[in-house]
Amino acid sequence: MENGCGWAGANVPLSRIFGGGAGMGLLRRTVKNEFWYVLFLVPGFSLFALALLIPLGMGIRYSFTDWDGIAQTLHYIGWGNYKNALTDNDLWKALLNTFKYAIILTIAVNCLSLLFALLLDSYLKFRNVFRTVFFLPSVISIVLSGFIWSYNYSTGLPKLFHFFGFENVTSPLGNPDHALFGIIIIAVWQGIGAPMIIYIAGLQGIPQELIESAKIDGAGTGRTLWNIVLPLLAPSFTINMVLTLTGSLKVFDLVFVTTHGGPAFATEVMSTYIYRSSFASYKGGYGMALSMIFFVVLVIVTIIQLSIFRRREVEI
Amino acid sequence: MNKKMIIGLCLAMLMLLLAACGSGTNEPEATKDTNKGTEPAATAAGTKEEKVTLSFMHFKSDVTDGVAKIVEQFEAENPNITVEVQPVKYDDYYTLIKTKLAGGDIIDVFTLNPGGQTKLFADGGYIMDLTGQPFLANFDEDVLKGQATDGENYVMPVNGGPIAVFYNKKIFSDLGLEVPRTYDALIEAANKIKEAGKTPFALGWKDGWTLGMWASRDLPSLTALEEGQTDFFQKLEVGQAKFADNPAVKVTIERAKKLFELGNKDQLGVDYNGVVDLFSKGEVGMMYTGTWPLLDFEKKNPDFYNNDLGYFPYPFSNDEALNKLEFNPDASLAVASNTPHKEAALKFMEFMSSKQGGDAWVNNIKSLSYVKGSTTSIAPAMDELKPYFDQGLTYDSQIYFANTTLDWSTQFCQLLQQYFFNKTTPDKIIADMDDWISKNHK
Repeated sequence: MENGCGWAGANVPLSRIFGGGAGMGLLRRTVKNEFWYVLFLVPGFSLFALALLIPLGMGIRYSFTDWDGIAQTLHYIGWGNYKNALTDNDLWKALLNTFKYAIILTIAVNCLSLLFALLLDSYLKFRNVFRTVFFLPSVISIVLSGFIWSYNYSTGLPKLFHFFGFENVTSPLGNPDHALFGIIIIAVWQGIGAPMIIYIAGLQGIPQELIESAKIDGAGTGRTLWNIVLPLLAPSFTINMVLTLTGSLKVFDLVFVTTHGGPAFATEVMSTYIYRSSFASYKGGYGMALSMIFFVVLVIVTIIQLSIFRRREVEI
Repeated sequence: MNKKMIIGLCLAMLMLLLAACGSGTNEPEATKDTNKGTEPAATAAGTKEEKVTLSFMHFKSDVTDGVAKIVEQFEAENPNITVEVQPVKYDDYYTLIKTKLAGGDIIDVFTLNPGGQTKLFADGGYIMDLTGQPFLANFDEDVLKGQATDGENYVMPVNGGPIAVFYNKKIFSDLGLEVPRTYDALIEAANKIKEAGKTPFALGWKDGWTLGMWASRDLPSLTALEEGQTDFFQKLEVGQAKFADNPAVKVTIERAKKLFELGNKDQLGVDYNGVVDLFSKGEVGMMYTGTWPLLDFEKKNPDFYNNDLGYFPYPFSNDEALNKLEFNPDASLAVASNTPHKEAALKFMEFMSSKQGGDAWVNNIKSLSYVKGSTTSIAPAMDELKPYFDQGLTYDSQIYFANTTLDWSTQFCQLLQQYFFNKTTPDKIIADMDDWISKNHK
């Protein structure tokens, strides 16, 4: 996802070089003329290789060993880790929690941020102030907001409710039935800022004349919204859905600072499970295998999602 | 011509970019240099010998200031050595240090827990064998033997302390309660406190280690001393024993639930700091923990700390004779095998093993030192434990799984938490644990 822009430049020359039955002369000329595009790719690609490709290769290697995370020698065990993973109940539980978290969060964040965007794009007094206010939580680091909210949940809110006469208000993070929702609330609070900005930008990109002509044709607010605004907002919708879903599937920091995957595994997501296997249970090799499996899952989810949403987009 | 200019421009921009990257890495060095420039002002006295900077990483982050003071004393004694202290929260400590060492970083001196963790680092070749170093003579033979790995001393004992039950003397005397000497008496006292409308136990089980601390002591104590299965955990690791064969497991599970029911409100939502706060307000009857919160108690409520705070050994058994005082090693020190400052690192160890160093640990972080002859009076509440120390009525439940690397307690505690909310049964926990062990043993 992050590196998509780095490749855009390369597409043009490649198609021209290999397209049609051009002679060697043309090829040489194209290389000479267009080769310097490649130069632009070098810094980006080397960073990408250093930070992503090489560690990925190392990880694949470790995933075929029973490395304990600290030993200096490696012992290869073939596909053993992958076989274990497929029969590992905890893995399926973690995957289930991850998807539960990600899907609820994606829907909640997108609905709320779209709502706020529509509201803050209208002729509201102080709308700039409100935009800033709703965007502010996104500025805080996730770890910090995790700490703030655990304190809120365990001390702040019970005190507040006590003030209004409600006793026995307890932290949702302390109850396996509510812990995941407790975390989702924090993530929503923090996560709506960025999608909201993208939606506002998308809304402002919709030509005003389309909306006006719809009004002249007798369409009410609801119809305009449904038939004009939302279809034209589809590109923003795609990018927001993909970004929040993939982001929330990879969640680690928030869960780690608030619950560590507890209580009773209720908030154990894939990344905390991988962390626990690799570091707490001394199974570095197994953790790597889990990471690889999770990587494949993420790739599949992203491809499916992109192909679904791209089809629904409308060009003006 | 135009093309050439463009290529030239591109190259120039690339170089700029690389230069920018380069300066990025250069910057910290530059700031380091300026730091060095200001530091010698303080230690200008000893300029003849070469200056050495030792890195020291420790997991006593709850007493960061105290450890910093101990290190300051060392620096004052050794003006040529600067110690860079890195405190790390215990929960993250081993992850961080393993990653650092595996990544080739050098940490000259660091804390370890004797037993399984030390063995892991010793087997990996990361820590120096200290056997025969002169400073080890400052410790009792038994202590050294207890902390040895396969007969060799890879770590130097530093501090230790009892894990017992703090209690509120005022609540106990108001309700006419005796200090409980058996498990049943403990629960009976707790029930009476609850009937009187107060909270019997301060739990703070939001932090994983607080429940783990209790479970990983209650279960081994029961297993080894009541059931007589002293090698249960070693056998567990190699797959020769099962949780199902150990009747103590069920007892611990039921006790955990009992404690949960008798605990403060929101047991899994309030963390350790939260209950320290709660307990120091004097609203709670008992709290199972080490000596660590003493500093906080004193700070938050000196009156309570001096008059109403008591401490008694946790009675895991109903046989009074078995209920000795749990006394565990806390931090031990290891020297990295790849340290370039071996001499300075050993000097650091030597200081920590001296009477001065031992007393520094006692006075600054309110724990007990293993150094022979260091002081033991750290708090009024500790005086109650004096008879146990004097008569040698202490034991260490951790030795029963000291040589295993299986992290059973984390898994066990998560399953216990399911049981608190009636999402599982004791039998299911035991089956799950055996399942987990068979998946994890080597």
